[in-house]
Amino acid sequence: MTVKLTERMQAWIEKMGCHLCVATPQGVPYVTLGRYARATGDDEVAFALAKDELSVIYPALSVNPWVAFGVSHQGGIRASFQFKGIGHLVKEGPLFDDIAKDAESVDTYAVLYVKVSEIYCTKPGAEAGQRLDIMAPGDVCDWEKERWKDIPRK
Amino acid sequence: MVKFTEEMIEGLRVPGKGGSLVYLCTSSLDGKPNIAAMRFVATHMDDKILIADMFLLKTKMNIKENPDVTVAICHPLEEGRWWAFKGKAVDIEYGFPRDFDWYGANATDILNEWGDWNKSEPPEEVPPDIVFPKAAQRGVVVVHVEEAYSIEPGHAGEKIL
Repeated sequence: MTVKLTERMQAWIEKMGCHLCVATPQGVPYVTLGRYARATGDDEVAFALAKDELSVIYPALSVNPWVAFGVSHQGGIRASFQFKGIGHLVKEGPLFDDIAKDAESVDTYAVLYVKVSEIYCTKPGAEAGQRLDIMAPGDVCDWEKERWKDIPRK
Repeated sequence: MVKFTEEMIEGLRVPGKGGSLVYLCTSSLDGKPNIAAMRFVATHMDDKILIADMFLLKTKMNIKENPDVTVAICHPLEEGRWWAFKGKAVDIEYGFPRDFDWYGANATDILNEWGDWNKSEPPEEVPPDIVFPKAAQRGVVVVHVEEAYSIEPGHAGEKIL
């Protein structure tokens, strides 16, 4: 199934940053902030992490690559989505430099790339938990536009 | 044993009363994480966070097989609420034995006070394009907090409780 983040999803993610959730293989969850985020592809988001922010999730992430994330700040209510995927860390090289150079607010120690494979609606009510990545990308856009049109700008 | 600070008690309330939107983070038993924003939040006793079971799906499934959770402030972080609380959760649903006890929290007390949360603290501050048309509360998630750490930039991971 093709996963494609909508323009609005990408805008909220990039404007607000995200809360990143990982878990140990035994199921103990940890949360850290991904304050700088950039959609690097239709189904990929990169987060610049400072050393202390990475330290919270690294013990779990190093043995279990699943990452779930939701938009921070007002995005937690305005952008009612949960994204899940497999993450991988980059600490040097072009993929690191590309994000770190623009993440001015973060003393970037590592960049976490998450390949999104699942998108869920988290709007409270009948659509809570609705899985969106099973829909065709165009249908997801239409579905979203029927509900929300607010697209934040940087 | 932890004890919430006054700031935490103030912050862990519904947003309409000066509290916070929080993220409730859970995991399946085999380590697949889940994160969902929650509006109905309160504290109880010195070390319990309460969250309404309203429209919970994966969160509920995860808690039923794995009680380990983390609750983190989502908004507003700018007020110094850089908190993440780790603990053990149970979803006290209607139908639980009324004398059920979760680390000292009693099911009857919880459901009597927070069992009809939408009525006692209606989501008046929630935008109309987000708010649910009809409340459907099944119970109350009770998180017994065992520790807390900071998510503040520059201090992430530091123990605060």
